[in-house]
Amino acid sequence: VSMTTTLQSFRGCAVRDFSFVAFKPGCRGLHITTEACWGRCHTWERPILEPPFIHRHHRVCTYSRIRHMTARLPGCQPNVSALYHYPMALHCHCSICSTQDTECETF
Amino acid sequence: WRSLRAKFLCQCVCVSLHLDRRGTCKGTHLVYACVGYCESSAFPSRYSVLVASNFTHNITSASQCCTISREAKVKVRLDCPQGRHHDEIEILTAKACRCDMCRKSRY
Repeated sequence: VSMTTTLQSFRGCAVRDFSFVAFKPGCRGLHITTEACWGRCHTWERPILEPPFIHRHHRVCTYSRIRHMTARLPGCQPNVSALYHYPMALHCHCSICSTQDTECETF
Repeated sequence: WRSLRAKFLCQCVCVSLHLDRRGTCKGTHLVYACVGYCESSAFPSRYSVLVASNFTHNITSASQCCTISREAKVKVRLDCPQGRHHDEIEILTAKACRCDMCRKSRY
């Protein structure tokens, strides 16, 4: 998202910086800054005559193109792999949340 | 990111609902639907999510969609052929909208 864009009024779905601590048991955590997705997608619900009586158009801002990244965690025990894999967003779009590769949550 | 929710972007709008009962009695009625833009994001999943999903869900989507939070039933009269009688049906109309859990957004 461009720095000049007002986030409060931004509509759409865009790549945005995202920081997190990569952690797994047996290693120390590693602070990683990458690209993820953020935005506001056009969604609606409208009444219809037939069951279920509400027609829903729900879409979420999610990855459309990904680069698979690998980080090396520090301080890992000898029997634990130091490699940590995570996705980096190259492009984002408003789409259905695929439960095949995505944990779909609300907040 | 969560502090940037913009619930005001999800609002009631008037839409035209075409009514057609058994292909005979017909009518058009204005009802309220909920339309708007709600916040969503997608980012690398936590390690606990990776383990729980057998390392298939490497993306987590946290999202909200524009939903009907309060609705009402309204009775509408349909015009039937040759004006012999009038049919009456109940339809839903939105009374309030809000950004809430996405439902029909997964597969």
